[in-house]
Amino acid sequence: MLKPVMLHKTGMQVAQEVQACIGCNECLLACPALAEPITIDVLNHVTLGGSIPAAVARFARSCYQCGACVSPCPVGLHRDAMMMWLKVRLLHAEE
Amino acid sequence: MSNRNVAVSKKRYKADRADIVIVGNGIAGLTAAVEARRLAPDASIVIITAQSHPTINTPALKQFAIGKLTQEQLLAYPAGTELAQRIHVINAYVEGINAQEKFLSLEGGKGFGYGSLLLATGSKATGLPQSVPGSNFDGVITLHCLEDYLDLRRRLPEVDDAVVIGGGAHAIETVMGLLHLGIHVHWLLRGKTCLSRILDTPASEMVLENIRHAGATVYTETEIQGIVGRVGSVIGVVTNHDQMIPCQLVATCTGTTPVTTLAEQCSIPIMQKHGILVDDQLRTSTRDNYAAGAVAALKNPQTGAHETRPLWHAGVLQGRTAAAMMTYHEELATQSFGVPWHATHLGDLCMLAVGDLHKMTDDLMTLTDSSKKSYRRMSFIGDRLVSYLSLGPTQPDSLAIKRIIDEGLSILDIQKDLLKGNFDARKYFSRQQSHAARTLITSGKLPTVHWIHSSTPVSRPVVISPTTSHKMPALPKTDGSLAIPVLRPATNVASTKLGPHTEPLHDAVPLTNERSQQPDTEEILPFTGKLPAFSEQIIDTQAVPAPTPQDSRRGLQSYSTKLPTVSGRQTTPGKRPPLRMTTGQFKVIGG
Repeated sequence: MLKPVMLHKTGMQVAQEVQACIGCNECLLACPALAEPITIDVLNHVTLGGSIPAAVARFARSCYQCGACVSPCPVGLHRDAMMMWLKVRLLHAEE
Repeated sequence: MSNRNVAVSKKRYKADRADIVIVGNGIAGLTAAVEARRLAPDASIVIITAQSHPTINTPALKQFAIGKLTQEQLLAYPAGTELAQRIHVINAYVEGINAQEKFLSLEGGKGFGYGSLLLATGSKATGLPQSVPGSNFDGVITLHCLEDYLDLRRRLPEVDDAVVIGGGAHAIETVMGLLHLGIHVHWLLRGKTCLSRILDTPASEMVLENIRHAGATVYTETEIQGIVGRVGSVIGVVTNHDQMIPCQLVATCTGTTPVTTLAEQCSIPIMQKHGILVDDQLRTSTRDNYAAGAVAALKNPQTGAHETRPLWHAGVLQGRTAAAMMTYHEELATQSFGVPWHATHLGDLCMLAVGDLHKMTDDLMTLTDSSKKSYRRMSFIGDRLVSYLSLGPTQPDSLAIKRIIDEGLSILDIQKDLLKGNFDARKYFSRQQSHAARTLITSGKLPTVHWIHSSTPVSRPVVISPTTSHKMPALPKTDGSLAIPVLRPATNVASTKLGPHTEPLHDAVPLTNERSQQPDTEEILPFTGKLPAFSEQIIDTQAVPAPTPQDSRRGLQSYSTKLPTVSGRQTTPGKRPPLRMTTGQFKVIGG
């Protein structure tokens, strides 16, 4: 019997959220873990696929899912969920 | 024209041709181009645009205006995307379309042939009527595109008082931006309320009060009668109440209209009504012509009326769908765009509006709640949500609520939470997925899969095995494992389908297409860490391979928890029949 799993956000949901991102950068401005310049366009595209640049990888590792990025989003998206997916991608890349 | 000239002319047309031509490099246009490249690696793709800059995040222009973002941070795609994706960009103005011969007339008398054409010409600002005295004074600006905001930024150091005209979200965002910079703002609204197409009176009052509290002077039922200038520059405006408001800047935010000029210059009339009329697959009334983005008028599934959706998310989704259609992947363009959705910040308030907020029928129930310094109004028929409006200090999970309406999910268990603003989307959908999995395991039947109403693609084109292409056999009871049907990656689908129909640009430069080279991926549940076992009794199914360390380029869709596609519509290669519009419906003729 499968145990019910509490998913953070499904892949499809995260993909939709990335597509809905208007690029206002408010989430990154609110992030306490961001230590170097990363643009939202690169972050979005890396979240969806492709190779992960070193700066984005460092950022993904630094993210501690505090959720400070969620409330500033004008369109109600969840950057924390997107970062979680990026962390998963990063883990697979590092294995 | 001599025979030689005709021959030369034809030769040039033959050379200047692409399989897919996109007019406009807004978000719909570039998304379509990038997605088309992914779906058709060998197709020649060209964007023709009169715009002098790359695709930018236009909703972020407000942040740019107040200095929160630099110009480089406005880029919607990483710099160099077009080159990397072998998307040829031509900076030119398109004057007309010859739909019979399938070529465009560019300025300077040049022609450019196409296999499929996407009109993504966007919208333009309505602006002040030319008849308003003084509308041509320096300092009277319309805020719509990058050039407008660059102009605004140059002017801001000289501005102490500004007048903003318009009653929509764009005007409110502009008011708040100017206030942020310490400018005194006079906000002029024609009506008694703001956002009258979305908000009811209590919600509008809440927004107006919030804007007043932020420091703006709000003038309702006020229209501009004229602009006063001195030596060519604005020094104030005169209202219909004979009031003079001193200012150094007049910013017009009175809405947009779709740019249909090119569609009007088509040799075969393209049907229009408040935009270019398209069906759910974004086909216009002219063969092989599509429209997407702010220029496309889609049918609202709730009202039946065709309307444009000049919003970012809609542009992205439409770009993807247009790409699927132009690359003959119609199976990826079968889902509707669902109901309108608008989410933004209005000062300190988060606004979410989903669905037809003005629907009025006898069986419609409407509930409102104005607790916790917020306001919510939800309308529903039976247990199905029809529309949802939320104003408050926090933004609900906006896309999740759209999904509930689009998929017609029952809100019986969450009605109170939705009304009180306590809806936990993650918990709700997680519970639904667990329920679906249990049903599958205990009954052996596949649950009804309600696809999200958007064209979220799989990580690369897939074709369904003929043995499972139309009907999925019922799954036998197993020991708790799932079986996943085989999804076979297409082997160069585009080249086989587009081959006889197209011919690549001569100057196409073969560059690495990172996305199209992603490894084959299947779907897993990343948070369980376990993959479903294979049931040998099911024909043409197999266990999904576990992720390998080499899968560092695994795409996001590969982690999706959605069930795989179990039926696919056969794509018919070649030309599609044209469409004819009759009483709001498209019908296929000929063919």
